[in-house]
Amino acid sequence: MTNHLGDIQNAKAIIIFGANPAVNHPVGFGHFLKAKERNNAQIIVVDPRFTKTAAKADYYAQIRPGTDIPFMYGMLHLIFKNGWYKKDFVKNRVYGMEDVMKEAKKWTPEKTAEVTGVPADKIIQIATVYAKSTPGTLVWAMGLTQHSIGSSNTRMAPILQLALGNMGEEGGGTNILRGHDNVQGATDMCCLSHTLPGYYGLSDGSWKYFAKSWGVDYDWLTKRFKEKKWMNTKGFTLARWYAGVLAGKAGEDAIHNGGTNLKALFVMGNGITSIAQTAKVKEALDNLELIVLADPFVNEAAVLTDKKDGVYILPAATQFETSGSVTATNRSAQWRSKVVEPMYESKTDHDIMFEMAKRLGFYDELTRGMLLKVDPKTSELKQVKKTFKWPEDATNEIARIIKTIGLTGWTAERLKKHQENWHLFDEVSLRGIGPMKGEYYGLPWPVWTETHSGSPVLYDIHRPVAEGGMGFRNRFGLEHDGVNLLAGETSAPADSKVPGGYPEITAKNIESVLGITLTEDEKKRIGKNWKVDISGIIAQKCMEAGIAPYGNAKARAKVWTFPDPIPMHREPIHSPRPDLVKEYPTYKDKPNHYRVDTQYASKQGEKDWSKEFPINLITGRLVNMNGAGVETRASKYLAALSPEMFADINPNLAANLGIRDGDMIWIHSPDGTKIKVKAHFSYSVAEDRIFLPMHFAGHFQGEDLSDKYPEGTRPYAVGESANTVTNYGYDIITQIPETKGGLCRIEKAKEV
Amino acid sequence: MSEYARMKFYCDEERCIECNGCTIACAEAHDLPVGISRRKVVTLDEGIEGKEFSVSVACMHCTDAPCEQVCPVDCFYIREDGIVLHDKDTCIGCGYCLYACPFGAPQFPRDGAFGTKGVMDKCTMCAGGPEETNSDKERELYGQNRIAEGKVPACAAMCSTSALIVGDEQEVSKIYRERVASRGKGVQTAPYGWDKAYT
Repeated sequence: MTNHLGDIQNAKAIIIFGANPAVNHPVGFGHFLKAKERNNAQIIVVDPRFTKTAAKADYYAQIRPGTDIPFMYGMLHLIFKNGWYKKDFVKNRVYGMEDVMKEAKKWTPEKTAEVTGVPADKIIQIATVYAKSTPGTLVWAMGLTQHSIGSSNTRMAPILQLALGNMGEEGGGTNILRGHDNVQGATDMCCLSHTLPGYYGLSDGSWKYFAKSWGVDYDWLTKRFKEKKWMNTKGFTLARWYAGVLAGKAGEDAIHNGGTNLKALFVMGNGITSIAQTAKVKEALDNLELIVLADPFVNEAAVLTDKKDGVYILPAATQFETSGSVTATNRSAQWRSKVVEPMYESKTDHDIMFEMAKRLGFYDELTRGMLLKVDPKTSELKQVKKTFKWPEDATNEIARIIKTIGLTGWTAERLKKHQENWHLFDEVSLRGIGPMKGEYYGLPWPVWTETHSGSPVLYDIHRPVAEGGMGFRNRFGLEHDGVNLLAGETSAPADSKVPGGYPEITAKNIESVLGITLTEDEKKRIGKNWKVDISGIIAQKCMEAGIAPYGNAKARAKVWTFPDPIPMHREPIHSPRPDLVKEYPTYKDKPNHYRVDTQYASKQGEKDWSKEFPINLITGRLVNMNGAGVETRASKYLAALSPEMFADINPNLAANLGIRDGDMIWIHSPDGTKIKVKAHFSYSVAEDRIFLPMHFAGHFQGEDLSDKYPEGTRPYAVGESANTVTNYGYDIITQIPETKGGLCRIEKAKEV
Repeated sequence: MSEYARMKFYCDEERCIECNGCTIACAEAHDLPVGISRRKVVTLDEGIEGKEFSVSVACMHCTDAPCEQVCPVDCFYIREDGIVLHDKDTCIGCGYCLYACPFGAPQFPRDGAFGTKGVMDKCTMCAGGPEETNSDKERELYGQNRIAEGKVPACAAMCSTSALIVGDEQEVSKIYRERVASRGKGVQTAPYGWDKAYT
């Protein structure tokens, strides 16, 4: 989130694409309802399904899955045409909007209606209301991201906000609701295969910075890899690790993995059926040499696989049996205390990792960073203790190293103080009072220094940098195609020493940009640039000058290195509209996409999928379930709310297929897989689509796997996994699977 | 709470999102057998634009409680604060109260923790029953007695959007009145927005 949940109360309009906070964030949704009540905020929901959130909305558009980009262009068409966009903002703070304007011209309400399925007058109504009710906040979740064009979707939404000047405003922003506890923290700390922690890239420079910060030898690190080049190569993703196992088999995508397939899988608390193509995942599990599942519950991977040997279930402790910081959806940190010691033979995740590291022979290297501290006099790293204290020393190590997103201020001591003083913060502004005055709750990052306030609203130039203000980051050079990429006049944060834009701060430019002179000692100690400056001199001098260390540049609407420099509509890989596939085809196939050759055009063009598979397929969540449901299906009361797997189907569609409410139906996917589920009549889905909840496991293509659970561990609710029938299709940049817009065929199951 | 306090539930249907937090909190708090719904969330016109709404329903603790009037063995009693309770040792499980109740509150367990086959069970507003307060027997037959401990009933304490409100009817109506009065008046932030409990 650029803003935070409480700040949504400041909005005058809330537009929600592919998110269902009433179900997935019920507590956070309270802020939406308060905005509506007290602020007359207009809630607009754009979703293929009439969700519980839509039931509380003022306007609802039932969009065809995968057409968010046309919908937003349709809005921008009217916004540009009627002059409703913020001209100054676009001029001073945005690069490449002209190209967007050109594309938006094509998306008349009529054209948009044809592609999205939303009537033209509704598009006009929504665009008008949203453009005129500022500040407006734009909210999304997996409904926007899980598409083959998901990365374009996530660029389109900020472009809409930039055009309206809604970025960097209280009550505005792009607010992405994270789906699980600490997902933001997991991402920040690099549960990713293409960066190092804190979004540092895979370049030698980043590796060297980390080697130094961890107190390990760079050459030793290099030798951990088969060849050095793999240090600089993206790994597999969660979405397609299975391809790493199955490559070489007939019909499977080729991989580029140093001449070997994946042989072992170590899972820590991930629901394996929560990603697409469960049948492939099962086949991959069957073909691994080793599977280790560390989970408080029996991970369904153990039940799904037919593998008899080499499957280990490690009892991991729950969040109540450990302590430390987690990161909330709004970039705030929250400290958690241990409630009880790990029960029975369970171990915490970090203990499991430490034991692994000991046996693999790098425990000292893994933990050494916790013993180090920067000497304030020399700015050199020094070992200051012999043993570490968990988790405080880990938290402090993170704070010491991660500059990119500004975690310097997240010391364990400060985070604990915030936990102890919850009651001294305001829920709408996050401002503290009394002893917490001058700080925002949870110190939302960036927290540039150990005394910084935190930054509740990103890109907000109304506040000084020292109080959470900043412009957009200078990340992509100083100019492109002869256009200056730095922000224009009048767009510096409040109290800035520099009136307009400025570059990211380095040892070389700090004196000229800030207009200061460093002492000889400072010159000796300062790091190369703000991202690797362990001396803290750059951050400190920047705070004094009201300058954001990462610069003040224009947001870029155009990404010249992407296949689509500005977001363009492309039909899903499996589209129900062959006519539009011709007009808006997908990408060319992409070789070596996170090590896997990935099909786009060849899969989309294989045949007219819609003939055999005419029904749109979308998936989502239920309020009583979480993720793959491993935990929640094991609760008798939660399971009782949805005891079996079902499909929401429009009664008109069902009646045409001879299906009655409660009948068992088969759902077939283009990949040749099928699931057997109960039909549940609902008008929330249109007649051309069905909805599947994604939380079930324990059945596979009609077969009940209950007898495969270790004794006494079968959850109260088991059922088919929706992802057994979600289709092939992956995003062109991130490789997220296309679960929110595929095709299927349904038929009534014969009674046995 | 005033001397004339009368305890009431109110569910603000503009806020209820059918999350079922109340029903789960109730079931967990009182260790109810699965299938007993002291509280349930009812959704009408599900999936239909402009019509769908949800509301959480349990025993409404009526002032002139029909269940009490029709009970052939007179097992009901109404506390001074208006909470309608019953004596499971007297109840014969005839089901008259279910016919009389406009809200479908009475439940009839067939097995499980509440033992006696077929005796009626319902929301106690977390106020237990006629047994000694916070005794094992009270807990076993009626569930937690949170009211005696000065705690809010589990359902309202859990409500994620503060749709479900409980307390002295004057307080409940004051909270709702303030909600209505503050419509469109702008967001409440420090130092004005400190009244957290039911905002």
